[in-house]
Amino acid sequence: MAIRGVGEGTRHDMRRIAFLLIVFFIFSFFSLSTALAQVQVRMRVILASNAGQDIDPSLRDVYKDLGSLFSFTSYRLVREESLNLSLNQPARITGRTGKAFLEVTLVGQHKNVAELRLRVVREGTEILNTQVRLFSRRTVLVGGPRYGEGVVIYALYGNF
Amino acid sequence: MKDSCSSVSKLLEKYFDQESSDKERLLVEGHLQDCPACRDALRSMEELRTLIKVPVEEAVQKEDFPWVWQKIEREIPLQEKLTWWQSVRSWLDISPLFKKKVWIPAVATVVVLLFITAQIIFRKTPSYPDASVVEYIESETNNVMVYDLEKEKVTVIWLFEGSEKEPATT
Repeated sequence: MAIRGVGEGTRHDMRRIAFLLIVFFIFSFFSLSTALAQVQVRMRVILASNAGQDIDPSLRDVYKDLGSLFSFTSYRLVREESLNLSLNQPARITGRTGKAFLEVTLVGQHKNVAELRLRVVREGTEILNTQVRLFSRRTVLVGGPRYGEGVVIYALYGNF
Repeated sequence: MKDSCSSVSKLLEKYFDQESSDKERLLVEGHLQDCPACRDALRSMEELRTLIKVPVEEAVQKEDFPWVWQKIEREIPLQEKLTWWQSVRSWLDISPLFKKKVWIPAVATVVVLLFITAQIIFRKTPSYPDASVVEYIESETNNVMVYDLEKEKVTVIWLFEGSEKEPATT
């Protein structure tokens, strides 16, 4: 009976395939991990005050909640954007002068839940530091920092 | 029908070199029994081979093969070297692999590994149905209140601040 050995060419091919497979899986793993670790959060910055009676039309969906919670007569949308948060990558919503900002950092992700660290910093001083679990289809309002005759309310809505 | 010398002579060289098929071999051997001319031709071939073989073997014995190999080794580095990029490209070129069947187990491996990896990556991690929204909260400068509206699915974190400052804006 003849015994045929594995040729050098075949061994070389197998090494190449193994290498390419390893590269493929490492790339796929990191790509998927990065893609899956992203969370989209809808962020709105609202200026609430008792100066006037105007309600921003774009805030109609949250006005019911705001009206039942607060006694302000005016709600104005200052800024709205969709934040694509990556794990441990802070996103800053900076003020006009750059002296105050809200920093949002995704620190964990689970099914329908994003763990966010929120920091409000004014003139280098951290005035609020909190960590919240933002559930999908749920709103977290961070309010209180004063501006003019009113206050600022940051509204974060889980959209994932 | 007896095979003619002309047709067998074409096969005689193959027969001599043991490259003929079984059918051809039987044909030639059957013919050789009855044909002295072809037997002579075959004998001539054997004599010629002996004539050539002896001096070649003598020359081989005299030849210094280690010296020949050293000469070959000296020539090898003189051949044109590929650049590192050409080497990488030729190494990563998988097109020759598709001419072979080695890709079948490779594809099977990829499918199996993808299936296993997908199970791990897309496994649902447990959510927090009963967990509170606020994990921790701290402020060294102001009082803070947390208020949950379960029905409206709204959580409020309120910072009681007295001073007049700016809002975040574009």
